[in-house]
Amino acid sequence: MATEKRMFLEALRKKFKESPEEKYTKFYIYDGWKQSKRKQEFVEWGTKLAKERGIPFYNPDMHLGGIPLGQRVLMPYKLSQTDIYCEGDDLHFINNAAMQQMWHDIRRTVIVGLDAAHMVLQKRLGKEVTPETVNHYLEVLNHALPGAAVIQEHMVETHPGLVSDSYVKVFTGDDELADEIDKRFLIDINKEFPADQAAQLKAAVGKRIYQVLRMPTIVAMTCDGGTMSRWSAMQISMSMVNAYKLMAGEAAIGEFAFAAKHAEVIEMGTLMPWRRARGPNEPGGVPLGYLADMCQASRVKPEDPTWVALEAISMGAVLYDQFWFGSYMSGGVGFTQYATCTYTDNILDDFCYYGADYVKKKYGGFGKAKPSWDLIKDVATEVTLYGLEQYERFPALMETHFGGSQRAAVVAAGAGVAVSLATGNCTAGINGWYLSQLLHKEEMGRLGFYGYDQQDQCGSANSFSYRSDEGLPFNLRGVNYPNYALNVGHQSAHTGIVQAAHSGRGDAWTTNPLIKIAFADKDLKFDFTHPRLCFGKGALREFMPAGERSLIIPSR
Amino acid sequence: MVEYKPQYYPGSSKVAKNRKKYMDPSYKLRKLRTISDDDLVKLMGHRVPGEAYKSVHPPLEEMGEPACPIRELVEPTPGAKAGDRIRYIQFTDSVYFTPLTPYMRAWMGHTRYRGVDIGVLSGRVPLEARERDLEKVAKDLVETEIFDPARCGIRGATVHGHSLRLDENGMMFDALRRFVFDKKTGEVVYVKDQIGVPLDKPISVGKPIKEEELREMTSEYRVDGVPFREDKEMIGFVQRLHMLRTEAGFDPNKVKGI
Repeated sequence: MATEKRMFLEALRKKFKESPEEKYTKFYIYDGWKQSKRKQEFVEWGTKLAKERGIPFYNPDMHLGGIPLGQRVLMPYKLSQTDIYCEGDDLHFINNAAMQQMWHDIRRTVIVGLDAAHMVLQKRLGKEVTPETVNHYLEVLNHALPGAAVIQEHMVETHPGLVSDSYVKVFTGDDELADEIDKRFLIDINKEFPADQAAQLKAAVGKRIYQVLRMPTIVAMTCDGGTMSRWSAMQISMSMVNAYKLMAGEAAIGEFAFAAKHAEVIEMGTLMPWRRARGPNEPGGVPLGYLADMCQASRVKPEDPTWVALEAISMGAVLYDQFWFGSYMSGGVGFTQYATCTYTDNILDDFCYYGADYVKKKYGGFGKAKPSWDLIKDVATEVTLYGLEQYERFPALMETHFGGSQRAAVVAAGAGVAVSLATGNCTAGINGWYLSQLLHKEEMGRLGFYGYDQQDQCGSANSFSYRSDEGLPFNLRGVNYPNYALNVGHQSAHTGIVQAAHSGRGDAWTTNPLIKIAFADKDLKFDFTHPRLCFGKGALREFMPAGERSLIIPSR
Repeated sequence: MVEYKPQYYPGSSKVAKNRKKYMDPSYKLRKLRTISDDDLVKLMGHRVPGEAYKSVHPPLEEMGEPACPIRELVEPTPGAKAGDRIRYIQFTDSVYFTPLTPYMRAWMGHTRYRGVDIGVLSGRVPLEARERDLEKVAKDLVETEIFDPARCGIRGATVHGHSLRLDENGMMFDALRRFVFDKKTGEVVYVKDQIGVPLDKPISVGKPIKEEELREMTSEYRVDGVPFREDKEMIGFVQRLHMLRTEAGFDPNKVKGI
């Protein structure tokens, strides 16, 4: 690739204001934190609030006994394939409302099938179920789900102004049934997806009908993931009693509750083991393939599967690295600095498109070649060498990804995505990732940190293993898979390796068609079709989230 | 049976040969500078020169150890015998042609020294050992050809710098500025110990090694030096290793030819 065509050069020039190829520079001249507008803002607020609260607060003089941050360039970051530049601080989820909303939109979602309930209504209770009764039930539930009473008297309820993001919609693979559902309640597969993807999805769903329930963001913020299916099941059961005029408490109602709480429920994340003690719908339990399906890039730009994978990767970085590893598992704030490497400055984009071009030229397109040792070795080695060589040719690139784990993640992601694109097989893709890690370690004589490298040095052996506790189809892995439980900095790219295999061969979904459809919803607050752009809006403070409490707190 | 001869490392390039050389304990590392014992103790900052070693247990001779074949087999190091504390020295190695890479520090450390615990990260390599043993090892690590004063740093914390561009004097970045380039003497001088506590007197660690020499001595592959791409033996070795591990994990019966 000609030097000037490197996708990351523009960002590097903007970050350092020097030639990206220059090996020497000046340090210690940048006036520390004062070079950063965001840090200046932090100091201003920290000083003001320290006075107000009477307890010492944010004070950069505490750093290194008086040596402030910023002895080198505190570089800005470009959200890849957008025009947005921001400071690193703006990408910490505490400072970024869009990142918070992405997670809240995932956590507050539960999918519940309606067919079991309809069967009980028809066969056991002798009730008629028609599109009209379904529409009526959905109207009742849209009243009840945010936190309103439907059959009780003298009940407390939630303020609609606090919970307006809560609602229920349905989808089905049956076009005739879909036609009869009130459009306000319908996720219309035909409308939301390209025709070939819609056909695949409808065939997978068939005549079944599913509810997609969004609990209020404020509930997602204040309760745990396990709350969601309980909240939805209670409101579903109450709404059934109301809509179909049922006796509250007869044995059949227990079956509604069982269906709504267990039998027909699809959680977004599985339970965690006791040593990490989390309920369902927590980030650690979201399988890679589920997260890839939540990302909706594949339906808006199916002709560019590399871009689709990169968008999915950015969601993985925020969910797994920033939320799960960075906070649930580790605490502190350091993981953001690290996780941004996969979605900023067009660096991973450059490596992935290099791999995609290589695959197109050598293997005739995406998903055209069967997985083989020759292919995995060829593609993974070529993309790895290309990536490492870029770091060595452009010292500013090396300085941007100043941690070895960042470089290891980005180079191996490029290799894994390329193998996935070539073969349409993400297990081959993850095997390419592990080859990349081993090559990287020997080339540079360094890789990540202790906890980073460990999984990569034994990963070759588990990539094709299907033995329990050691192997699992790659789509279903995630941080809940034993060997990835502490696998920081990997899961973002792993999400993309899953996505690339499927988008490369034109699949409408990677793992679960129901999840893919559930997030094809324009009423979600977070834009799952363009996650990187949305994170950028959050960084620029242009993103309006749900869950605001201004109605119930004093005005400033 | 053919006598076992360690090969230490694969590869056919100059870099691979350097890796083999540094890992081979029969190769004597070239001494390039002298740092006094007291200065080394000050740089590490664990005790004051002349101060007795602190101990965490009585000398082994006084402890009445249980009968144990491993204890009979393994001769304790002097520090272990005396009951010294375990202390550390930590290095940061720039990506720009330093003699050792982080993994090389570990591999070399394990082939050359006993009683050492070495961790590897991309930007720092801690080596821990009983204190008097550590001081002996540290002498080698700082005085010989595997240390470049400008591009290797002795840093206990705030190690940031391995991947950054070099400053105008060719020095690796150090936020704490523990070491400075003395333009009058052309030498690198430490003004703080490895954890960043100011030293009473600066300690010189000598002149930086010239870039052309570093390029000959380095154990780093680089596209602007010895490209990894050109060491076909090395790449083939890693690919084979990966294939064998993969096949063994899928079905050990598939693994042939090893």
